Amino acid sequence: MSAYELNRVLFDLKMHDELVDELERDPQVVLARYDLSEGELAALQSQDPRQVRAQGAHGMLALYVLRNHRDFKDNIYWSQK
Amino acid sequence: MSPMVAAVAASHAPNMLLEPGRETDEFMAFHYTMAPANDHGVVSHADQQKLAEDLERLFLPLRAALDEAQPDVLIVIANDQFVNFFFNNIPTFCLGIGDATEGQFTRHHFRYAIDSNLARALLSSLVDGGFDMAFSQQLMLEHTQVVPLHFLLGERSLPIVPLFVNTWVDPVPSPRRCYQLGQALARALNLRPERIALLATGGLSHFPGSPRIGQVEESFDGMLLEHLREGRGSALANLELARLRQAGNTEFLNWMVLLGAVGTATAEVGYRPDGVATGLGFATFRVTPSVLAG
Repeated sequence: MSAYELNRVLFDLKMHDELVDELERDPQVVLARYDLSEGELAALQSQDPRQVRAQGAHGMLALYVLRNHRDFKDNIYWSQK
Repeated sequence: MSPMVAAVAASHAPNMLLEPGRETDEFMAFHYTMAPANDHGVVSHADQQKLAEDLERLFLPLRAALDEAQPDVLIVIANDQFVNFFFNNIPTFCLGIGDATEGQFTRHHFRYAIDSNLARALLSSLVDGGFDMAFSQQLMLEHTQVVPLHFLLGERSLPIVPLFVNTWVDPVPSPRRCYQLGQALARALNLRPERIALLATGGLSHFPGSPRIGQVEESFDGMLLEHLREGRGSALANLELARLRQAGNTEFLNWMVLLGAVGTATAEVGYRPDGVATGLGFATFRVTPSVLAG
């Protein structure tokens, strides 16, 4: 497994603010655009960077699974790249 | 006389440019989700304020070197962190040859002209010299550049040339290959009329996005800086990549490029673990024509 699509979701969440809002509104529609395994999908839905990393996400991208987590949605980290 | 008039290196940890208090607290809470067991509690706001004060002091010699040298252009050697490059295309080394570049960091906006004449000349020289560089006319600035640039230049406008090194996506280049790139860069610079300064960023020991977040191998950082202080950077080309990775120091590959360019120049060095996640390193090299000729 290359985890390419998993990393792609996370990269898109890093680079495209509008995707964060869209993911919150309709996660099924957004995630269906990516060719994700069941394990990858479950890891993304867990919003746990450790689980995403375990599925093959790069560590630096794995953190972006928190992009729309209720505890981190307004985190200062998102305002820089 | 060599056109290289200054060479400095500094860490680029994002928290260096965050405000003590809420911003730093948020940054720590976020990063430690990768390893909650490593989070030994918040760094007090007093300690965060002390770090901010220490950073001003640690950057002083670097800023003074640039102020004194009055360069025409600053070559910024840094790594991408999934902003400009993704798994569809990750160059090992990439030169920015566009007209300008910009980036945003919290409330700070950065925009610099790129000295595209110099960048294109360096690109040609490096390719002719055996380094098959990637290049791009459209590159964004990231924290890896703007954090140290904020401290070094402030509001000052200075054309730059961005040089990206892949330090985070395997296979990353070896320390020796990076050192050799620096040597080739110095040869290319010798053909130029501009007054040129170099900045390398990143490191030192840290483990972002890893279960080892929060660990800092201070003794290894100390060994690196001691080599720089004594002008023995060339010996670090023999480092095993695995050892750099073990110490959370693959961003030192950016510094290796600079070391290849400055040769046996000695350095004034500084070090300060930030108490958050990173051993912060600083170096100001005593570049002189005689040293560089060697």
